Parts: sequence; C-alpha cells; structure tokens
Amino acid sequence: MLIPRRVKYRKQHHPGRSGTASGGTTVAFGEYGIQALTPAYVTNRQIEAARIAMTRHIKRGGKVWINIYPDRPLTKKPAETRMGSGKGSPEWWVANVKPGRVLFELSGVSDEVAREAMRLAIHKLPLKARIVRREGGE
Amino acid sequence: MANIIKLDGELRTDFGKGAARQARRGGQIPAVIYGHGTDPVRVLLPVAATTLAVRGSNALLSIAVDGEETVTLVKDIQRHALRQTVDHLDLLIVKKGEKVIVEVSVLIQGELTAGTTLSLDHPSIAVEAEAVALPEHVVANIAGLQAGTQILASELVLPEGTALAVEGDVVIATVDAAIAEAEPEAESAASAE
Repeated sequence: MLIPRRVKYRKQHHPGRSGTASGGTTVAFGEYGIQALTPAYVTNRQIEAARIAMTRHIKRGGKVWINIYPDRPLTKKPAETRMGSGKGSPEWWVANVKPGRVLFELSGVSDEVAREAMRLAIHKLPLKARIVRREGGE
Repeated sequence: MANIIKLDGELRTDFGKGAARQARRGGQIPAVIYGHGTDPVRVLLPVAATTLAVRGSNALLSIAVDGEETVTLVKDIQRHALRQTVDHLDLLIVKKGEKVIVEVSVLIQGELTAGTTLSLDHPSIAVEAEAVALPEHVVANIAGLQAGTQILASELVLPEGTALAVEGDVVIATVDAAIAEAEPEAESAASAE
C-alpha cells in the first residue's frame, strides 16, 4: 500500500477540489492510460485495488505505471463525539485527483487486454474515467 | 518527405487570456510564430483546418498572413486537458535546407519471441533532419530478440538524411522475460494467516 514514509505535519486542510489538472494530462510512459473525468480523493486502498485488478487481468507481460501518489492525509473524528476538542485523527491517505489527470498507464499487452484491464481498474476508482492512448502511438 | 499544409492566418492585436478565450469561442486558435531572430508574430488560425493539420507529429505549416507566407514547424501544442482541443500553438520558422532537431516516435516492427515482454523506455527520440523532410518515425526491429536484449539508439533504422541527436548508447527498449502474477488464491490464503 502506498503511504508516505515521513511527513512534516500529521494533519492538513482538505485539498482543493476545483479546477482541472495542470500537469500529467498525457500518457507519458506507457501505451494506454486511465484519465480522470471528475475530481476525487483517491485513497491508497483504491489505488492498490485498481493496480491488482489490472495486473491480474494482464497475467503475464505488460508493465503498469501509477502516476498518482496518496500524499494528503484526511482526518476523521470518532463516532458520537461532541464537536470541538481539536481536529480528528488521520484516517486515510488520498491523492487529490482533478479532471484530466492520467492515473495509471499500461504497456506491453494487446489492445483488447489493455482495455479490459483498465475497465476493471476503473471500477475500483471513485471517479468517472476514460481510457486514452499515447499521442502518436501506433 | 513531409508535405506542407497551407493555412490562412490573421494578425492578432488583442493579447492575454481574455482575448485568447474570446478567439477560441469565435472558432479560432491563437498561435505565435517566432525564430531566425525575428520578432514574434501573434496570429489567429482557423480551428477546424488547424486541428486537422496538427494531427500528425512535427507538422509543417505554411501560414499566410497579410499575403506573406511563412513556413513553420509545430514546436509545441497546448491542448485542453479533457476536451483535447488545441488551445495554442508555438510555430517555429524554418527554411529549406535548414536542419532541425525534433522528437520522432519509435515504431516497433517484428514479433516478440514467446515468453518475453517488451519495455519501451523511449517512445520517441530526438533526431536531426532537414526541416522540410522530417521523418514520421524511426524503426526498431525486435524480431527474434531474446530476453535480456537491449535495443540501443544506434541500432535504430534511420531514414536517409536523418541523424541521431542523442548518444548512440541510449537504451530505447528492453526485451525482458515475462513474469507471471502470483495466483490470487495463494495470495489471499497467505494474508489470512
């Protein structure tokens, strides 16, 4: 599971959700990519689930890249707690994903296998996404 | 030999993101033409013809502004993150006979041997070629290669008049042995223990 080894501050404000991705919007390493169409906080568990879904489908061969990293902690107050008494404890690690961002990339497999693997991976993610191909790819 | 696509442009007098957005709403793409020590010229190009023209890599455009034609190479394309429409173009002035360095995609030819997988480290590579005769791609042949083989930049098949703009020992692709993913049952049983 992806998790930062060490952080400067344990608790952060919620990351901003507005706007579109300003970078990482093209397929840079592989042949195919999963591009987000809506904003979302993607947790490290969801990233891992999507990765496993993809690697299990492609079985042998192929290479998977994860272009996002869950570096933002989200906190949660315990249930049935009165308001106040400070911020809750860190509960999740999330990647702040904005529309346009390429989340995963894949190469080394056939078009059919890649699309099915990515379709399965998209089902593990809390956002709408589409499959994109590298620009100028054959 | 790349063909030169002719486009009619008009001079842009209003600058900034407000004017650029207004132009895009009006069916035009803002662009800038520069190079050869001249002052940059801001132009507006028709959206449909320009989008079609820049579909291929390293497109050559002949821009006619006020009756004067300039042959340019598409240096950079800014696209909308979601819609993939062209937001802005950087056009570099080129002259016949001039050599330019451009990124060209690597085309893989041949079938992999059984039990191997290809890892493409550089999907494109920088080459030096004549501005008006840019190659569309360079070819890497992977037929019959065994696991552990590396394809170096010096082994690429370059078209005539094209030279590498990078060191010859740059690894373009690697042929690896395919690794099987662990069985899901075995993995879940191990985690349950």
